[in-house]
Amino acid sequence: MDATLLLQQILNGLAIGSVFALFALGYTLVFSILRVINFSHAAVFTLGAYFTYALTGGAFGFNGLLANAQLPFGLPFPVALVLGNILAGLTAMGIERLAFKPLRARGADPLLALVSSLGVAVVIVNLIQYLVGAELYTFPAETYGALPPAVNFGTAEHPVQVRTTQLIMFVVSLVVLIALTLFINRTKIGTALRAVAEDETTARLLGIDTDKLILLTFFLSGFLGGIAGTLVGASVSISGPYFGIAFGLKGLAVIILGGLGSIPGAVVGGLAIGLAESFVPGQYVAYKEAVAFAFLFIALLIRPQGLLGRAVIRKV
Amino acid sequence: MTDAPILSASPILSASSVTHAFGGLIAVDGVSISVQRGEIFGLIGPNGAGKTTLFNIMTGLIAPNRGKLFFEGRETTRLPPYRIAERGIGRTFQNIRLFGELSVLENVMTGRHTRTHSNVLSGVLGLPAARAEERATRQQAMQLIDRIGLTDRAHVRAGSLPYGDQRRLEIVRALALEPRLLLLDEPAAGMNTREKQALSDFIRQVRNQYHLTIVIIEHHMPLVMGLCDRIAVMNFGQLIAIGVPAAVQRNPAVIEAYLGSRKFVDR
Repeated sequence: MDATLLLQQILNGLAIGSVFALFALGYTLVFSILRVINFSHAAVFTLGAYFTYALTGGAFGFNGLLANAQLPFGLPFPVALVLGNILAGLTAMGIERLAFKPLRARGADPLLALVSSLGVAVVIVNLIQYLVGAELYTFPAETYGALPPAVNFGTAEHPVQVRTTQLIMFVVSLVVLIALTLFINRTKIGTALRAVAEDETTARLLGIDTDKLILLTFFLSGFLGGIAGTLVGASVSISGPYFGIAFGLKGLAVIILGGLGSIPGAVVGGLAIGLAESFVPGQYVAYKEAVAFAFLFIALLIRPQGLLGRAVIRKV
Repeated sequence: MTDAPILSASPILSASSVTHAFGGLIAVDGVSISVQRGEIFGLIGPNGAGKTTLFNIMTGLIAPNRGKLFFEGRETTRLPPYRIAERGIGRTFQNIRLFGELSVLENVMTGRHTRTHSNVLSGVLGLPAARAEERATRQQAMQLIDRIGLTDRAHVRAGSLPYGDQRRLEIVRALALEPRLLLLDEPAAGMNTREKQALSDFIRQVRNQYHLTIVIIEHHMPLVMGLCDRIAVMNFGQLIAIGVPAAVQRNPAVIEAYLGSRKFVDR
């Protein structure tokens, strides 16, 4: 393998890996506070992409209740990305209120919340199909305005072409990841979130309204997941209502590889799986998923707590 | 021995006929107590007498089956824990519950959560008011940390501190809430005699400086007898005696409850 191809693959891997990280962080945030995997996250990923698509003025197809619907205006992509995924975040807040909080209030086992969130995912997928059909939607070519379709990081003789969408994936993910890290490590609310993640009861006794923080966590989770969905949708296409489900499985692989509940773990896990996938040779590309999960198995055999997870010893 | 507390006529905390059962076990059985403003009030009794459960009821972690609680004249019986904390009740735990992964400073700053006003938006945007408040919070937290001599370890993980420091840090974190009532659950557990004496002095200082009322659960009798203005004794969920230390010590029911454990007689 020559150096340019290697560089190309690393860049590809980093681009998709950073989106994996962004998406997986949504699982991580909720898990670290509620100790439960929120299976509706994959559906919110899908929703974020649809919301943004609609807000950029994209038209819907011939099927479903909203056949041929289209907003009378089209927002520029960056604005639609933020607004569309604020909507995704609000949806996630609604999911917390409907599917998580009532169970929590009754002291139900976390496993029930997991099943309930799976139910929400199914409902959302079906709702999307009912509203806009199962068609594939592609963001219009002019989504990124005047930006060229690809940037050459090599020389004229040894070109290292990187698609603009991949660069945008990487840059947007990086900006969001840095902002989230600063928020969690530097602000009062971020510190409170970490406190709740460690010991919810004590946090409540110190005057922290944990229900409000859980709601915020769901918003952040939905916002991150939606951005990930939008970036993938804009880079390839929105493949239909099941768009997020395959991605959902990969997100689980990422958080388990990185270490459940660990924020740096989700980032490292995402980048590792992204890079592993990008090194799958072209003729075996159909087995990409298998490679990612094989990688997960091997890593877990060596480190069962995940790459950055801590072996937790709890009082019994 | 104790500085004269400023007692007022109306109790700061009162419980009336508070009862709570876990399944068939009655942990707290018709307990009525009034704690006067400014006093250091001891809560003693054999293991399993219901002392910690009473603390959990007072702080809203457990809703009692029966009975009512009042703090500063207002009912708190069914308020969630964070509301009760906001009203001004702070506490520590029998088994230390610091946020081990957070730094010493962050632990204390978390205690100030309800006393600050910046919200998600102003915090994220780094608005000047939010930043000024953050600075002030940090400064106040550092002053408290300075009191327990941990200034140079303010940025280490709280979980890495030695045991005695963790105990003191937990008290200071509760103080950050600016409570008017502080509930201490076995603060001297695991300390040696010298540390216990230092802790006792610290508690008294803190009471005087912040004009606090303190309720303390403690098994170490010399500490309780020397520190408390009044003592309540619980056994099998019931209140069996209440009064000044000397009177409680002579109470036959109390001696009966402690029979077999020499702790109480050994002063």
